[in-house]
Amino acid sequence: MYILRAIATWLHSTKLSWAVAGGMPWLWPLCETLHFMGLALLVGIVGVFDLRMLGMAKGLPVGPIQRLMPWAMLGFTINLTTGFLFFTGDPFQYIHNIAFGFKMLFIALAGVNAILFYVTGLSRRVDGVGPGHDVPPAAKVIAAASLFLWIGVMYWGRMLPFIGNAF
Amino acid sequence: MTDFLASLENSGFGTWVRESSSLWAYPTILFMHTIGLGFLVGLNVAIDLRILGFADRLPLAPFERFYRIMWAAFWINALSGTALLVADATTKLTNRVFYIKMGFIALAVINMMLIRHRVFRDPEIGRAPPGGFARMLAVMSIVLWAGAITAGRLMAYFGPVSGAPGLQNRLP
Repeated sequence: MYILRAIATWLHSTKLSWAVAGGMPWLWPLCETLHFMGLALLVGIVGVFDLRMLGMAKGLPVGPIQRLMPWAMLGFTINLTTGFLFFTGDPFQYIHNIAFGFKMLFIALAGVNAILFYVTGLSRRVDGVGPGHDVPPAAKVIAAASLFLWIGVMYWGRMLPFIGNAF
Repeated sequence: MTDFLASLENSGFGTWVRESSSLWAYPTILFMHTIGLGFLVGLNVAIDLRILGFADRLPLAPFERFYRIMWAAFWINALSGTALLVADATTKLTNRVFYIKMGFIALAVINMMLIRHRVFRDPEIGRAPPGGFARMLAVMSIVLWAGAITAGRLMAYFGPVSGAPGLQNRLP
């Protein structure tokens, strides 16, 4: 907690923090807009993949859907960058915010979930699942967890001003 | 007109949405609006990217199944949006940016229906990569949804102040 406060104090003293927090008046709304676009890109692409593994649009072979993943990564990168800028702009409204803590936890769990998908070899097993076929049950569990966790990330993000005190 | 907007805003429902301290009021309705945005815009963009030639080893036709979810997400947002609108009728309905947002959404939804009728219902689907018209619709889709998101976010910054009391989403 001490380290977090020290980082927050240092970030708050930077020129970048000043710019995001209103020094450049349109930077904050611009980042918010990009954050929503990144959200849609991430949820849309991950949604196609997870929903297909759960049995929707079964005419899609599973493997080639992974070709769309760079777009989900783009959405995630946009949101990581803009999210970092929000944090830099006003770090103290986040570090004491329980909703922010849960949001970070859910993002980390979504990351662990994705890593599990690859290291357990499930990713390679679903690669060959063609149109009309089911993925193994373990992959369905991963897909359901992924949807739950990303919806959870949106929930905690939306609750930042309400459960916590951020805007 | 102003009287009508004020009576909407001060109705039992409008007041509850805006001022209730319950998480089920303004916060949950706003959360539903975000979920709807994510799935409606996100699935649209996934389809657009496929039409534009990304991941072209995927057959296009099965993507039509996602229209069910896109329409469900649309209705979640129409309903949650109406609730948020009633709660702030005097400010949001007098905000020019709100009408710009509605314009983008109307065009984006018409565009989404056009993609279904002209791309997915095309008997030639799957035999050749989507043609110029389909690609134009896909680009339009991305542009219109980006416009809707931008206008929606900027409603908080232009025009009269609205939103839940204590929610400071304005520039200093």
